Amino acid sequence: MSQSITDYAPQTITELVGNPWLAMPMAAGIIMGALTVNVLMLVWAERKVSAWIQRRMGPTEVGPYGLLQTLADMLKLISKQLITPANIDKPLYHLAPLMAFAPVVGAVALFPVSRDYVLLDNDLGLLFVFALGGMAVIAIFMAGWGSNNKYALLGAVRSVAQNISYEIPLILSALSVVLVVNAMGGSTASGLNLSHIAWVQSHEHVWFILLQPLAAIIYFISALAETNRAPFDIPEAESELVAGFHTEYSGMRFSLFFFSEYTNMLIVSMLAVVLFLGGWDGPLLPGPAWFFLKSYALIFVMMWVRWTFPRLRFDQLMTFCWTVLIPLSILNLLATALAISVL
Amino acid sequence: MGYFAKLFSGSKSLVSGMGVTLKELVGTTAQHKAVTLQYPKEKPVLAPAYRSAIKLIRFEETNSHDCVACKACERICPSFCIKLDGGKVEGIKKKRVQTFEMDFALCSLCGLCLDVCPTATLEYSKAYDEAGYNRDWRVDLVAEFRDYEEEFIRKQRAIEEAAAAEKALKAEQAKAAKEKAAKAKAAKEAAAKDAAPKDDAAPKAAKEDAAPKDASGANDGHTDAEDKS
Amino acid sequence: MTNPPRELSPSTEGELYTLNMGPQHPSMHGVLRLVLQLRGEQIVNAKPVIGYSHRAHEKMAENRSALQFLPNSSRIDYLSGMIYNLGYCQAVEKILQIEVPDRAVHIRIIAAELNRISSHLLWFGTFLLDLGGITPFLYSFDDREQILDILDSVTGSRLTYCYGRFGGVTRDVDDEFLERSTAFIKLLRTRLLMYKRLVTDNVILRERCIGVGVISKDTAFRFDVTGPSLRASGVAYDVRKAEPYGGYDRFDFEVPTEEDGDTMSRFHVRIREIEQSCRLIEQAIASMPEGDILPKKMPKRFQIPKGEFYFACESARGHFGIYMVGDGSDIPFKMKLRTPSFSNLSAMPETLRGTMLADTIAIVGGIDIVMPEIDR
Repeated sequence: MSQSITDYAPQTITELVGNPWLAMPMAAGIIMGALTVNVLMLVWAERKVSAWIQRRMGPTEVGPYGLLQTLADMLKLISKQLITPANIDKPLYHLAPLMAFAPVVGAVALFPVSRDYVLLDNDLGLLFVFALGGMAVIAIFMAGWGSNNKYALLGAVRSVAQNISYEIPLILSALSVVLVVNAMGGSTASGLNLSHIAWVQSHEHVWFILLQPLAAIIYFISALAETNRAPFDIPEAESELVAGFHTEYSGMRFSLFFFSEYTNMLIVSMLAVVLFLGGWDGPLLPGPAWFFLKSYALIFVMMWVRWTFPRLRFDQLMTFCWTVLIPLSILNLLATALAISVL
Repeated sequence: MGYFAKLFSGSKSLVSGMGVTLKELVGTTAQHKAVTLQYPKEKPVLAPAYRSAIKLIRFEETNSHDCVACKACERICPSFCIKLDGGKVEGIKKKRVQTFEMDFALCSLCGLCLDVCPTATLEYSKAYDEAGYNRDWRVDLVAEFRDYEEEFIRKQRAIEEAAAAEKALKAEQAKAAKEKAAKAKAAKEAAAKDAAPKDDAAPKAAKEDAAPKDASGANDGHTDAEDKS
Repeated sequence: MTNPPRELSPSTEGELYTLNMGPQHPSMHGVLRLVLQLRGEQIVNAKPVIGYSHRAHEKMAENRSALQFLPNSSRIDYLSGMIYNLGYCQAVEKILQIEVPDRAVHIRIIAAELNRISSHLLWFGTFLLDLGGITPFLYSFDDREQILDILDSVTGSRLTYCYGRFGGVTRDVDDEFLERSTAFIKLLRTRLLMYKRLVTDNVILRERCIGVGVISKDTAFRFDVTGPSLRASGVAYDVRKAEPYGGYDRFDFEVPTEEDGDTMSRFHVRIREIEQSCRLIEQAIASMPEGDILPKKMPKRFQIPKGEFYFACESARGHFGIYMVGDGSDIPFKMKLRTPSFSNLSAMPETLRGTMLADTIAIVGGIDIVMPEIDR
């Protein structure tokens, strides 16, 4: 910890490789490979966790402990025929899976996995992540609108209302962290730079969940809603809307939605780790180990929540957001600002 | 309820719910208490009462079934899935079933045929994993008994002959006893009136001996036969 | 009250559109089809369309002897097959005045109440599944599985029991069956506590259920709603109490009622009924007499005498009635089955009006319908 708080700068892959034309494909390769493995493992983990909670065994057949089950499923999905329904809005229908898929891949590059290295160091990283996250709504609406299916449309409409509403508390709770970072990190540290947020927590030996417990809870709840996870899985509520916005998608198109859903889980968890749980900070183990340990622990909690609760109704979801989360997050932000200006 | 009280009680209920699922999760992983039966690897334990499609019982004594083709099951069957045919077989008294065609696809496993079977030769099989490639799923229940049928008839004939011989013998004895009794009676009548009760016992006993053979179902006949052979 | 009674929005803005829910839909409980007219997510009109699993049980009854109809009886409602099966037997016994031995009466009550619990547990699970809670569904199915195993050990079947015979039952129970039933009830009581913590107290479930789908006493009477759905509206009508049959008058049990008539009340009524069924089973086990399971003297043929007969029993879903017209032969001239789900479903269009799409699932799931029973 010899570095002072202000001159912290992790090495990016471009700096490491030297040539941006070589570095960018490398970064893309790393991200795609890591994300694919991540999704395969997460689906397996989800199935195992749900099975254990429900006193079942989960996948056991393919590979040791059924580990290769999702790989087999993926191969099946890839080899499946792509069914295109009649009377669809062709451009929207075909573009939607890609629109869902591309932003989540882009967002991953910004996360400071370790103290010294990051794929992409950006002073507006937090905003960039939220901006890319916001694009998921567009993809879902395109899918729902383009499918020419009432269930899909209902899912899409719900999804837009839900995601836009829940982005407010999500960003407000993140903002209070940004305020704290700016206050603690001095003039050169950017509160919107993810690496800096993690660095400040490590340097000051305080995780922001201790300074901002309310913001952390609000963030976590909003993140569940942002990723359309139960109990907020209203856009795809299978007992009401069959499969919601992706009712009419099959094969690889469906799996792209699936991919983006699970990657979204990882992104919001990683963001929570950066914002509230000190990023790569932790004793003994190397930084990346801590980072992923925390992220996957959060993902486990998300799964645990999903397999425990029933689903909220759509209007209750909105009421909860507008009467509980948003007022509380605004209050929290105001209190934070007040505390910073007083101290 | 106030805004915050409601928030608090709501959160409390959510946390307690998560406690339940966590306990189950730990229970499944730590105590290995998953309830799944790994079906093709582990077989289910079937209850003794388990009802699957019917079959003919192979009685130990005769190594064959005891269907007399009375068609009671065919008449009672609500699904009309039993078609059987049979009749008189040369040499033995009882009728024998020739074909017992069961349509497993139609059977509703109600068990009414078991209730009406006069010789109690039907029972539920334990075949729970039967599958077929078409809807036409007729099985001849007698098929597995065909190889033994000749042997059965031979034995049965021997038994019946033996039984007939015995009956004849008994009848003869009874006749003799009767004659004797009649003689005695005549003698008694001639001699004195109070000697009658003692002599009456003999014919009665003979009659009782013969009685089960006439009235009993085929089953008892077999047991007797087994003893003899 | 979190969900005030919803008025149909007076706005006529926006088009109405029609949404076909079912017959293939994840939460339409078999093959119910609801033709919904929606404005946004609010339901303006709901029309249930039934008949997708019509199997003509009533017509079949006119073409076969009363005895041959036995296997049909448990297939009318496959989730409480035992109650229907025994109910049919009791109807014929009532007509022919066959005396049922004491032991058979006790066995029947144990079997029927176990079946009632299993039916309520299945409802509990599928209802939660409709609301998006998948885990309670598997827990309740785990419990139900044990009931099925217990019943399997004596009837030889898991759903379509065909256990009753006119005058008694097919197979005597042994001590192991009684022990297993007692042990199961003990287990179920701890599981009910667990369900309370996991489900009943859960704020999301309460929000979804309280004040949703109110069936008032008046509406219930108009549509002839019976069973737990009626008792949730505050009417303590239970055939087992109102017109005791099959020895229920010898046992001590309560008829749980709730006042609100909403989905939560129906939820509570069913959970409390499970407890009452447990009590009944315990009493029946404790006072189980020795003896025969079928009467000594039985008529050779079961001829339905000339005249009209009606018998009612309380199924897991309500008042199940058998109306039989006899002409002296052993084939009934006419048989009409009054199945509770049919009447309960007919109250739906009125109840659903003005609710949200998501409420539809909760309400239709909450009245516990079984489609094959409606279609017969």
